[in-house]
Amino acid sequence: MHNVELRHVTKRYGSVEAISDLSLSVDKGSFTALLGPSGCGKSTLLRMIAGLEQITQGQCFINDVDVTDTPPAKRKIAMVFQSYALYPHMTVRQNVAFSLSVAGASRAVQERRVGEVARILQLEPLLERRPAQLSGGQRQRVAIGRALVREPEVFLFDEPLSNLDAMLRVQMRLELAKLHKDLGTTMIYVTHDQVEAMTLADKIVVLDKGRISQVGSPLDLYNAPANKFVAAFIGSPGMNFIPAEISSVTGTMASIALPGGKRAEIGVRSPTPPEGPVELGVRPEHFLLTDPAAPAASFSGKVAIVEHLGNATILYVDTPAGQLIVEGEGNLGVKSGDAVGLTMAAAQAHLFSGGGAVL
Amino acid sequence: MTVTAETGGDLALVASQSPMRWTRAVNIGGLIATLATLLGAVLWAFPLYWAIVTTFKPESEVVQAGVKLWPEHFTLENYVHVLFETNIGRWYLNSLFTSGVVTILVVITAACAGYAISQLNFPGRQILWWMTLASFMVPIQALIVNQFILMNQFHALNTLVAVIGPQLIWPVTVIIYKQFFDGVPKDFREAAVIDGATDFQLLWRIYLPMNWGITTALAIITFIAAWNNFLWPFLAVTSQEKMNVSVGITAVFDAFGVKYARELATAMLAALPVAVVYLIFQRRVTQAIMLSAGIKG
Repeated sequence: MHNVELRHVTKRYGSVEAISDLSLSVDKGSFTALLGPSGCGKSTLLRMIAGLEQITQGQCFINDVDVTDTPPAKRKIAMVFQSYALYPHMTVRQNVAFSLSVAGASRAVQERRVGEVARILQLEPLLERRPAQLSGGQRQRVAIGRALVREPEVFLFDEPLSNLDAMLRVQMRLELAKLHKDLGTTMIYVTHDQVEAMTLADKIVVLDKGRISQVGSPLDLYNAPANKFVAAFIGSPGMNFIPAEISSVTGTMASIALPGGKRAEIGVRSPTPPEGPVELGVRPEHFLLTDPAAPAASFSGKVAIVEHLGNATILYVDTPAGQLIVEGEGNLGVKSGDAVGLTMAAAQAHLFSGGGAVL
Repeated sequence: MTVTAETGGDLALVASQSPMRWTRAVNIGGLIATLATLLGAVLWAFPLYWAIVTTFKPESEVVQAGVKLWPEHFTLENYVHVLFETNIGRWYLNSLFTSGVVTILVVITAACAGYAISQLNFPGRQILWWMTLASFMVPIQALIVNQFILMNQFHALNTLVAVIGPQLIWPVTVIIYKQFFDGVPKDFREAAVIDGATDFQLLWRIYLPMNWGITTALAIITFIAAWNNFLWPFLAVTSQEKMNVSVGITAVFDAFGVKYARELATAMLAALPVAVVYLIFQRRVTQAIMLSAGIKG
């Protein structure tokens, strides 16, 4: 069952089109991440679902009810802002109870609901403090508590972890995942951080310039990107793109000529991939180091930079195809200046047309 | 030795070591500035001192030729006369009432207007804003004849309503509120809107409490200005029953004419509550004056 549905939604600011004819369905109880670079329209989309931005064209449904012109407070949604937006002059208790208080709930109801939320989020010792007396993680929990107390149908998160340091972000990510598991409420989560999206969401919507580039599970996006934009955006370090040329196609296999004179056989999804110049996409971990003179080596070159991450080693290798990023195991015995050969896992490689579509 | 010089400890010792060091330690520029400031302070304070001293002199001594910096015959008669022979109690009450009402209404209307101009979208919002800015530039004195005619047409002259009405126009408070409400991050507003808050709830529960310092500063400065206002209350009322304390000063005379010492005693008593308010809320008053001068404190 769809919990949130956008039908042919467009958002214009004057002559600028932030969202173009976008349709999207979010299933009940799912955790959906809206992922994309700055300016792609992901926050605008979330704000339109919240009712904070007017939809220029199209419709928004929540639980099959058209809420396009419904005020935010009546959409049964709650939102957690990047800045947390905790009222500085109120205590945690007052912040959490604010929505109940403006709705005219009795003091007993407010106390009961705030108590429940405080217990779930372990806010009890903090209830009489003001936001300025809280740490970043505690503020985040209060912001979630303020959303939780409304008992919404849909939670909207607008980059809620951006203001936290790396360690706290990991911790809060786990807490959010646990909260989603416990509540089972639909959550829509805006982020530009692919790690957050990949680890939290069961569905990711990748946005590019106001349009959906691809919708799918985290592994779908990683293993079968629909286009070069998604392929480049998902994964860290990013995918290598190598200019190549299709010389022939047999069934679902394309024979391509690589820079440096080698050839490779790559699987294609398109029934009729055009012959001619294309781009070969290979993830850094899909290269294997080998002897530069080995016949299986697709590329050979010299290691320019070595980055030791402990669990992995990142190599920047200068080759005739340009600088390629290679990810190997942590104890890789390679140093800067070494000559290496690169074998690629052709089954995991992708071909993209000049326009960026996967072939 | 150097340490002594820098901490300003033993100047004589430093002077014996090196005259240049001594001059540097004393700081000639600072000395001149201090002396100039002191002179300015004396010039500023002298009239106040003169007024206070005069209130303790008998009238015969006040009108004598020559300058007497201290009363020859110290007396409290002037204060006794003002406190027990005039309507000063009534004038105090009138001042308290009119200044209080002006302060409350100005703060409420300015907060509402500032919020509307800052946060609401309605036709004519920009025009309203420009009109508010323009009205800020019109001196009150230029409007005083119109206000007098208007109050006369309302048959309100010689009432406290006439004293209060025209004093409610304080565009600068609207401008200050608007500027501060503009500075409130929009996330607060949006979070409250999602929580179901109305615009009145937004104003009274979010915007005003978040700018409470500004409200108190504006209230204090409005109260002081309303208390000190002389020209308009002087024109609006002639009955002693309706006068405020600043206008009441002009009513302290007897069959033999004006008595300077008594008038000054009335002026001192009139200024006393404001001085007390200022002393208590000194920091807030300074902040409000800076705000109304366009400097964000």
